[in-house]
Amino acid sequence: MIPAARMRTGIAGLDKMLHGGFVPGRPYIVSGPPGAGKTILAMQFLREGLEGGERCLFVCLEEPPNELKINMRAFRWNLDDLDVLDANSDIRRFEPTPLLEISTEEEPAKMRSIGERIRKTPDFESKEVSVHSLQQLLKTLLVKKHYERVVIDSMTALRYFCMREFEEAVTTQSFMRYLAESKVTSLLTVELPDETEVLAEAFLARGEVRLHKLRDETGIKRFVSVEKYKGSSHDDAVYSFDITNAGIAINMTPRAPTAS
Amino acid sequence: MDRVKTGIVGLDTMLNGGFLPARPYVISGPTGSGKTVLIAHFLLEGLRLQEPCLLVTLDEPPIEVKSNMATFGWNMDRLKILDATPDVRAHKRQRSVIDVGTSLDVRDMEDVTDIRQSSQVRALEVTVHSVQKMIKQEFSQHLERTKQRYKRIAVDSMTALKMFSMEGQDSRILIQSFLRFLAELEATTLIVSERLDRKKLETEFFLGRGEIRMHKWIDGNMIRHAISIDKFRGSAFDDKMHPVTIGDKGMVVALDAPSQIRGTSPEGKPGESLLETRLIDEVSNVIESVMRQIEEAHRRQIPIRDVEVALSRAMLAFQRRNYQKAMKIALACDSQLRERIAEAPPPPPVAMPPRPPVIR
Repeated sequence: MIPAARMRTGIAGLDKMLHGGFVPGRPYIVSGPPGAGKTILAMQFLREGLEGGERCLFVCLEEPPNELKINMRAFRWNLDDLDVLDANSDIRRFEPTPLLEISTEEEPAKMRSIGERIRKTPDFESKEVSVHSLQQLLKTLLVKKHYERVVIDSMTALRYFCMREFEEAVTTQSFMRYLAESKVTSLLTVELPDETEVLAEAFLARGEVRLHKLRDETGIKRFVSVEKYKGSSHDDAVYSFDITNAGIAINMTPRAPTAS
Repeated sequence: MDRVKTGIVGLDTMLNGGFLPARPYVISGPTGSGKTVLIAHFLLEGLRLQEPCLLVTLDEPPIEVKSNMATFGWNMDRLKILDATPDVRAHKRQRSVIDVGTSLDVRDMEDVTDIRQSSQVRALEVTVHSVQKMIKQEFSQHLERTKQRYKRIAVDSMTALKMFSMEGQDSRILIQSFLRFLAELEATTLIVSERLDRKKLETEFFLGRGEIRMHKWIDGNMIRHAISIDKFRGSAFDDKMHPVTIGDKGMVVALDAPSQIRGTSPEGKPGESLLETRLIDEVSNVIESVMRQIEEAHRRQIPIRDVEVALSRAMLAFQRRNYQKAMKIALACDSQLRERIAEAPPPPPVAMPPRPPVIR
């Protein structure tokens, strides 16, 4: 079998660990506890695409786009052409008001046109994001704009805020299935608690990159590992990494984390 | 970008200057680790810079907050304080329940003189929605009155809000909405939250734009405190854990000495968990016996309202795993009740049916 062309992740060390990069057209997961660097990794993945002239979409479910823009400014990456879809739900109203399903309303905005201040919930209506409307919207967007790279940040927010609890498992499965069928290379971030168990999404994704965060006397140590990678060999070792001014930098001398 | 200073010198250095403005942050840690002191510093710094500050208190009544702050000798008279502590739960059905949101109670710290008494006819209940409404109302009224927006808001605590008002509801969505609401106010917000279950991913921790974690552990016969930053979006930060001392000037972060963990993890030693289970049994026994005596007192119509209030605090402490505190309060309740029951006149004689005459 001739190996398919790989898609670079934008992080040299990670490409090496994945033996070249991601197999295109599949959903992948990057997981880790809050503050591990998931959003930065995802952003580097998109930046790599933008530099190669690919069309990229970032779906914000956790933080408002204006904050994302400010946060990424420190890295001085050129993200002007990145499409950002604001899928944050508005403030809930506790009385019946007209709800706007985002599928009918929302358009992604170019990073360069995003303002400094947060979008306010309008007085008489509020936007709610459900997984169905988001899926619908993505479907339309993929047809219209032919995205090559999509990041969903985060899948946990989608699960927590856009699904009803009793159907979480089924809906997650169907959403992942949808991403796989749409043939776009997608990277989903997943939040992990401090002490981890196995994720439902990890079964369904074609690969999982996990970020670890450990604390010892000298501060926070970060590590990255490839937990699973279907259809490719990969590096089993755990590598440490730092978040620098240039983003995530993996130290390629293997060193196992020493759990305290 | 301008940073929002915390008022604690070492912490500002750790944060690379301070918080990024207009975002919500989480302060976490076990009870008694200094979370409330930290937010007091934060609000005090705001007042010093002539910024309007608001404290939303759900845990302690304002008068207690005031007296606690007074021990540090801080003058926080200009602090606006929003009392969202719920009333004594009315356990009788005829009392009507009103939403806190409809009775706005914001005062300057200097006007706080007494604990709000629960009304006898209706009880205030706190819901996320009503707290949100109160804050919004106060925010816009303040804007109208003074043409100034609140710059700093502290919510103490999210744990209380979750416990009081989110049972059975989809709390994750409510928290998401609440944090969105705080972000849209464009004030820098500190949310106090206790991490009750380390295995569970709590919504506010991943939605918050940063987390400052307070640590407390027993080292020999000393209680040690430390502080660390576990997440801080959009900024570099000092990721080391630093020792903290809480003295009469408030909180001081010692930057030059890295905290010595020395094998004892902040989570406690293995032997402690056994001790803890025994303590749990003990506390629940005492609470149960107090409840029995309360029933007894009710039957004999002895006034014990204050004991009921105290017991509810013991239960709250218990729920939050502050067993020592729960034990202390419960024992106090117990002795109070015994005393009063002993002092009270003997129960009215039970009407005994006359004995049927014995026929021989």
